[in-house]
Amino acid sequence: MRARRFLSTVLLVALGTALARAVRDLVALPDLVMIYVAVIMVAAAFFGRGPALVASALSVGAYDFVCVPPYYTLAIAESRHAVTFVMMFVVGLLVSELVARVRRHAEEAESATLRAHTEEMRSSLLSAVSHDLRTPLAVITGAATTLRDQGDKLDVAERAELLETVCEEAERLERLVRNLLDMTRLEAKGMKVKREWIPVEEIVGSALTRLERWLEGRAIVTRLPPDLPLLSVDPVLLEQVFVNLFENAAKHTPPGSAIDVTARRVDGAVEIVVADRGPGFPAGDELRIFEKFHRGRGTSAPGAGLGLAIVRGVIEAHGGTVTASNRTGGGAEMRVLLPIVGTPPGMPAAEEAGAPS
Amino acid sequence: MTSPGPLVLVVEDEPQMRRFLRASLTPHGFRVLEAKTAAEALTLAAAHVPELVLLDLGLPDADGLEVVRALREWSRTPVIVISARDREGDKVLALDAGADDYLTKPFGTGELMARIRVALRHAQAQASTSAPVPVLEVGPLRVDLTARTVTRDGKELRLTPIEYRLLVLLAKNAGKVLTHRQILLDVWGPPHAGQTHYVRVYMGELRKKIEDDPARPKLVVTEPGVGYRLRDPAVTG
Repeated sequence: MRARRFLSTVLLVALGTALARAVRDLVALPDLVMIYVAVIMVAAAFFGRGPALVASALSVGAYDFVCVPPYYTLAIAESRHAVTFVMMFVVGLLVSELVARVRRHAEEAESATLRAHTEEMRSSLLSAVSHDLRTPLAVITGAATTLRDQGDKLDVAERAELLETVCEEAERLERLVRNLLDMTRLEAKGMKVKREWIPVEEIVGSALTRLERWLEGRAIVTRLPPDLPLLSVDPVLLEQVFVNLFENAAKHTPPGSAIDVTARRVDGAVEIVVADRGPGFPAGDELRIFEKFHRGRGTSAPGAGLGLAIVRGVIEAHGGTVTASNRTGGGAEMRVLLPIVGTPPGMPAAEEAGAPS
Repeated sequence: MTSPGPLVLVVEDEPQMRRFLRASLTPHGFRVLEAKTAAEALTLAAAHVPELVLLDLGLPDADGLEVVRALREWSRTPVIVISARDREGDKVLALDAGADDYLTKPFGTGELMARIRVALRHAQAQASTSAPVPVLEVGPLRVDLTARTVTRDGKELRLTPIEYRLLVLLAKNAGKVLTHRQILLDVWGPPHAGQTHYVRVYMGELRKKIEDDPARPKLVVTEPGVGYRLRDPAVTG
């Protein structure tokens, strides 16, 4: 890299010299100087400080050798030429110094932005996580101590309600911890994708089973064509993706409203769409919802804003993409595109339907 | 309960978890024996011959998997392993080594009791010398092993031979998890033990015939990364 920059500089000076030689007899000496100044500036701008210094030194020599009579010797006939050489070299020094300074400033600004960004991320992580961890803990502690200290003064319904709260909040805490762990693993690049051949229906079905209680009373309309190819994906990670997508849809839509799941084969990939009839996304939120700690749709819905970031992380680890859009007729639409990797393995010979033998 | 209840060996190094398990088991009539390490577990198992073992896979002195293997050398006592989520690989190893079922932390008492009931029932069925039951009934499903017919809510289902074998295996193990490997060995035989996709594809076909909505299964549920379980309403309530 470094050697190439210096080599380019030498070539650049050679090019400038060839140009100077070509026009030597047509223009005045100061114009030839300008060619070399240009060469030095280009070297400084594109290759950095060191190459600019090299360009300055080479330019002085080449200018003397090719442009200043007597030609093709480094001897100097007139002392005013010596002044030109010195000036040329000084210009080269100044330009390279200026370039170096500009670069340094740019780098400093960039690292400052990065630092500020990291700092901001860290504090938003801390505040999101501590809030989300503390709320359920506070509720559990409150309910449990009430039951322990005043349980005998409460009637059956009140006790049942407090106990239910403890269970719900513990579940919420579990989901949060699970998401935090998944996110950490994704970011540590330690997430191994264990690919296995699996029908789309099983992935969707196992996510729906896990959320059975959560989705109770909701119509889930699945349209999965029977001729979909098997997918080579990590079954556990993909189940989590759909759990997060369904949870997200359920969280942002009124209870009882339907969720649609459709899949189809597209060119070299399988597309799976999870769509709801909720409020959809505010304009411009379609990309931001996949960012960490972004709580979507301007709601106060619970969660640390990690679910969709995990979705994106897992899908990208599989070489796929996930996009969000508003649905025609209202609602949100999450589109997962998973490339078909490899050739599905063969199946044992087909059997005839009929009485079991 | 009048007679002393079944003896359960709890192998768990976390004192809070032991306390929770003891508090859940005792009111249901179980007698509880506690071990904190793998070594202690094996000593207690040999000395007291428990009727069931609840085994945490993360023990301080050895992998819980070693406990399963050591126990299986001389005992058929049902073993339910307890492990954290995202350790599917460990669960599968333990199940294939002879554990009967698993619980993922955190779990509730309802789930714990359901698993224990299923494990004890299977242990009893295996130990009994009486002739095998000719008819298996699980929820709405009824499998007549003599006539080789399957009905759901009284209506006959037409299954292919493989689908039938799958369903019989699931029904015989109702309520209990079966790993992909266990299913492959039983239905397709040892040469196909690695062809996990056979199970997945044929399970899909079976679901199309027995489930109301095969994409939202209620009878045969997937245990992600582990295998399948035919739900048994008789134990989950």
